[in-house]
Amino acid sequence: MFSYHFDWAIITSGQYFEWILSGVKVTLQLSVVSVALSFILGLLIAVMRMSNVKPILWFSHAYLEFFRNTPLLVQIFFWYFGSYKILPMVVNDWLNTMNFEFAAAVIALTIYTSAFIAEDIRSGVRSIPKEQMEAARSSGFSYLRSMYYIILPQAVRLTIPPLINQFLNLIKNSSLAMTIGVAELTYQARQVESYTFKGFEAFTAATLVYLGLSLIITWLVTLYSKYILNPMGVR
Amino acid sequence: MKRIGILFLAMMFVAGLGGVAQAGDTLADIKAKGVLVCGVKDSTPGFGYIDEATREIVGYDVDFCRAIAKKMGVKVELKSVTSATRIPQLIAGNVDLAACTMTKNADRAKQIDFSYTYFFTGQKFITKKGTVKKLADLEGKKIGTAKGSTSEQNAKKALPTATIQSFDDYAPAFLALQQGKVFAITTDESILANILYTAPDKTKYEIPNIQISNEPYGLGMRKGDTNLVNFVNTTLLEMEKKGDAKNIFNKWFGPKGKAFPINRGNFKIDGKKESWEK
Repeated sequence: MFSYHFDWAIITSGQYFEWILSGVKVTLQLSVVSVALSFILGLLIAVMRMSNVKPILWFSHAYLEFFRNTPLLVQIFFWYFGSYKILPMVVNDWLNTMNFEFAAAVIALTIYTSAFIAEDIRSGVRSIPKEQMEAARSSGFSYLRSMYYIILPQAVRLTIPPLINQFLNLIKNSSLAMTIGVAELTYQARQVESYTFKGFEAFTAATLVYLGLSLIITWLVTLYSKYILNPMGVR
Repeated sequence: MKRIGILFLAMMFVAGLGGVAQAGDTLADIKAKGVLVCGVKDSTPGFGYIDEATREIVGYDVDFCRAIAKKMGVKVELKSVTSATRIPQLIAGNVDLAACTMTKNADRAKQIDFSYTYFFTGQKFITKKGTVKKLADLEGKKIGTAKGSTSEQNAKKALPTATIQSFDDYAPAFLALQQGKVFAITTDESILANILYTAPDKTKYEIPNIQISNEPYGLGMRKGDTNLVNFVNTTLLEMEKKGDAKNIFNKWFGPKGKAFPINRGNFKIDGKKESWEK
C-alpha cells in the first residue's frame, strides 16, 4: 500500500535526463582540467621536495603537509569565500562577473590533489637507483635536466598505478564542488531528487556514471601502460 | 563484468529495501501504540528548531504536531528530518507525520499525501537595498538559493535568463550575496524573513515586494493513508475555527512572536485545494 514507485523513465529521457547529462559534462570539465593541472603542479612540487636548496625544500614541505592534512571542503570554501577578504575589491568585482565558483573548485581540487601526486611521484623517484642520478650528473647534465631526461620518465611509469588512484579520487572529490553551487553530477542528481523525490533513481544514475567513468579511466590507463609504456611486454 | 553485475544487483536490492511496502491503518496503529511520531526540522528557526533554554525542539510545526497528537489522545515523539530525508523517512515508516516546512506540489503528491495547507507563504528575494524595483531587474543576474527546495524551480520559471546557483544552505547563499557573488537570494519569505532578521548588517538589504510563487505548506503522510489524512484535516479545520491555529501563528510569527515577524495576511486553514489537486 505505501510502496515506493520506481520510475526509471524520468532519468532516461526528458528534462531530468538533460540535467543529469549537463551534470556529467560539468564533472568531466572539472575533472579533466584539474587532472591536467594537478599532475603538472604535483611534478613541480615533487621536484622541489627533492631539491637541495633549503628554502625550496621548506616551502614544498609546508605545502605538502598543509594541503594534504586539511579537508578538501574547507579548502573549497577558502578559495571561494575566503579569498574575498584577501583580494582587492577590483579583483573581486571582476571575479564575480566570471564563472568564479568553477574556477575556485578547480583551484581547490588541483592544489589538494597535487600534494598527493607529489608524494606519489617522489616515492617513484626514490625507487630509481641513485647511481642513475650520479651517472647523469657526471655526464654533465644539470640537476633539472637529469630529472627531466633520466629520472622522471622512469619514475612516472612506476607511479602510474598510484596516480590512477589520485585521479579517480579527484573525479569523486569533484562532487564537493556542489557546495559552492557548481552544477556538476551530484548537484544535478540532488536537484532531480528535490524536484521529484525520486532519489533512488537519480542517485543510481549518478553512481553508475561515476562507476563508468572510473572503470573507463582504469581501462584506458591499463591499455596505455601495456601497449605504449611497455610495448615489448617486458615486466 | 560478472562482478559488476553482482554489484549492480546488490545496489538494486538495497535501493529496493528502502521502498518496502507497509500496509496498515496508521491512525489505528498510532492509537494502539499511544505515540504519534512526527518528523520535524531541528534547525529551521520559527518552524522546528532547538530551544536554547530547554534543549527541546520547538516551533510552529512542532505545535501543530502536539495539537494533532492531543486530539488523538496520544503522546508525541519528535524525530529530526531534513529536506532530503523527510520523504524517505515517511515512506519507510520511521515517522507517521512529516511537519517540516514542506511545500505541497504535484510531483511530491505522487509520492505522499498532503493535509490541507496549514501555513502559507510565497517565494520572494533578498537584494541589496534599492537595486531591484521590479522582477525584470533580476533578469540575466546570478541568483542564489539552497538545495533541496522548490525555490530553484520557481526562480527558473519566473526568470528564464537568470543563472540560479544553489548552495548547501541559506547561510552560504547569504554570504555569497554579501560578497557580491550573487545579485539576490531567493526562497520562501518565511525563511528570508529570518535570514534578514538575524543578519548583522540587515539595514543594507531588503525584501522587495516581488512574489514569484505561492508556497502552501502541508503536513505529509504516507500515500493512501486515508484515515489519518481525514483525521488530520478535520483537526486542522477545527483548530482554525477555535482560533488555535492563529494563536500558534502569533506565538511564533506575530508582532511579538518568539521567532521573527511575518504577516499572516488573509490566510486561513480552509481546506481550499490547489489547482493541481482538483
